[in-house]
Amino acid sequence: MSGHDNGVAGVNRSAGAAPGTRRARVSRRAFVAGAGAASVAAWARRAPAQPKATITYWNGLTGADGKVMDELIDQFTRDSGIRIEQQRLPWADLYAKLQVAVPAGEGPDLALIHTVEVPHFASDGVLEVIDDATAAAKGFRGEDYLPATWQGGTFQGKRYSLPLDVPQHILYMNVKVMKDAGLTGSDGRPRVPASRDELVTMAKRIATKADTFGFAIGTVAPGRYTWGFHNLLWQNGANVYGPDLKKAGVAEPAALEVAEFWAALDGQLKIAPPANANCRDAFIAGKLGMWIAGSWNFTGLREAKVEFVAVPVPRLFKQAVVWAMPHQYTFPKAKAADRAKRDAAWAHVRWMTEHVAEWTLKAGQVSASRKAHSDPRVTADPVLRALLAQAPNWQVGQPTPKWVAAENLTRPAIEAVYTGQKPAKAAMEDLARQINALPD
Amino acid sequence: MSRQTRVAWGFLAPGLLLFAVYRLYPLLEGLRLSFTNARLGRPTQQWIGLANYARLLDDTRFQVSLWNTGFYTVASTLPILAVPLALALMLNRGRLRTLLRSVFFFPFTLSVVTVGLAWLWLLDPVVGPFNYYLRALGAPARSWLADPHTAMGAIICTTVWWVTGYYLMVYLAGLQEIPRELYEAAALDGASGGRAFWAITLPLLRPVLLFVVVTHVIGSFQLFGQVFVLTGGGPGDATRTVVQHLYETAFQNFFQFGAASAMAWVLFAVILAFSLLQFRLLRGHTEY
Repeated sequence: MSGHDNGVAGVNRSAGAAPGTRRARVSRRAFVAGAGAASVAAWARRAPAQPKATITYWNGLTGADGKVMDELIDQFTRDSGIRIEQQRLPWADLYAKLQVAVPAGEGPDLALIHTVEVPHFASDGVLEVIDDATAAAKGFRGEDYLPATWQGGTFQGKRYSLPLDVPQHILYMNVKVMKDAGLTGSDGRPRVPASRDELVTMAKRIATKADTFGFAIGTVAPGRYTWGFHNLLWQNGANVYGPDLKKAGVAEPAALEVAEFWAALDGQLKIAPPANANCRDAFIAGKLGMWIAGSWNFTGLREAKVEFVAVPVPRLFKQAVVWAMPHQYTFPKAKAADRAKRDAAWAHVRWMTEHVAEWTLKAGQVSASRKAHSDPRVTADPVLRALLAQAPNWQVGQPTPKWVAAENLTRPAIEAVYTGQKPAKAAMEDLARQINALPD
Repeated sequence: MSRQTRVAWGFLAPGLLLFAVYRLYPLLEGLRLSFTNARLGRPTQQWIGLANYARLLDDTRFQVSLWNTGFYTVASTLPILAVPLALALMLNRGRLRTLLRSVFFFPFTLSVVTVGLAWLWLLDPVVGPFNYYLRALGAPARSWLADPHTAMGAIICTTVWWVTGYYLMVYLAGLQEIPRELYEAAALDGASGGRAFWAITLPLLRPVLLFVVVTHVIGSFQLFGQVFVLTGGGPGDATRTVVQHLYETAFQNFFQFGAASAMAWVLFAVILAFSLLQFRLLRGHTEY
């Protein structure tokens, strides 16, 4: 009988018990002592040998993938006892906040960022260096990852982050729209354009129907969708910066060719939606046939019950490059080192890496590590299969601290081209001047 | 110092301290930063004199944003003055006025992001209701927010819809203050409704009108939320405003705090000049 039971008996005594039942007579002192001992024993049973850490984790997973992350974090907490306090805000706000909070010693223990953010955060001293020995000791090795993702975590020869997954572009095709335009094969599947000319011909055929568009690149506001513009630049062998990463490359002939095509989409060719259209809604509403957009859209399309197929991004210029932007785990610098928190953050990254197949299946993001790629649940999914098929063509942004600032300058420039406000050449030359004027 | 003065300072001290820490210090720190090449994340910064201000003379995007902000301020002032006034005159008396006042005030209770997202959908060129009904009426659909000729107009319409309720309340308060005897005397003299409006209502509403203009102009120079959500400053730079340019310079384009601080001080100077002008206009006309 525990001391707690004794206490209850003591209470019962004063309340009076039925005749014939055994009454335990307990003094007040014995009751208090018993209750105290019971509390200590109960606490001792509940308390783990060592208190587990609580870590803070900032990310920008504001879409449906955020809910998936919540579920996985709950599961991680159940498995490990480590609690994670997430702070979730739009990516641009997250980066501004990291830049301000970390130097002030108010940063998180763990952050998820895009690959192109690594160079400027690294050069500004916001991120901890991850030495190879530590990464290897924690079970992270380059050969387990696809090269573009693993390499994206480094800047000037040092590692600052570990890749989680690979958001990337893919070509979605609306089966009904394609069928209505007579662009399906004998098997009922939409025909896939093999070149830019073929894409334009097919898109024009779709656009003959009123209020329907043949082709778009970008989820919302296609006119200012820099990631789509970059994809086309890379396909044509051009880039934002030249090989020296100092001088802008956006006014080079190959880049101008892309800008001319960008201008023609809603201009001369009249195959794409207006600059500020919501392409996702248009696709779901059956007003858009071929749509190059992020892989993060496909789970939403399934929920919306749209009949679509997803195929690797076709070669529209010189090479079939696919824009990719791996998410990377980073450890922002802390004012005072806290070993327990750092170990807990590592434990979470390790756990997520081991459960990345679930992340891929539920959030629709292909894992950066190769391990999940052969998971039968992943290979059975046609969209995930298409995403994996284009892995050899993935390309990421250039490793310069100025990349993100240059991208922000690109947004209005390409929109002015898309809407016909400025000729492509003038806009690109102006953009090159602005990029070259960015301070060091 | 007398005891009374010491007590007065004692009461003022907490407020002054908060003002100094949260207003004055950031203001002066911003001024200092505007003379440096400060960049968030860089531990060092050099004094560069007026270079950030001189750079603004070559910054065509800053000049475009200044022009856009000025255009918005001027173009939106008339509808901001007229639409709530017309509604106030209608809702000053009559049945259902309480209900209608609440209806018109409702949009002002929404955040700018909510308003922006709602109008973004309403004006969507492909799936938005505006264009749907235009097509149904046989009119061509338009990309209101993606056309440089209509984008700023769409932002002004959105803003007018959003803030009309607030100014409506201000006007109604002003109308309630006008003595009814004046209208009765005018009616006895045979003045029509229009004549009474021009001869009584408008002159006696002058302080309210000036209040509306002053607050609207100051708010207009700080325009950011609607543009940020609706157009992002586009198409191109067609709706880019000074505050947006400043924000992007400070928090998106390489965290250039020095350059952004210089922009903020130029904007401050412009607002101060306009405010002084308006205070001058206000002086001597605030009583009736």
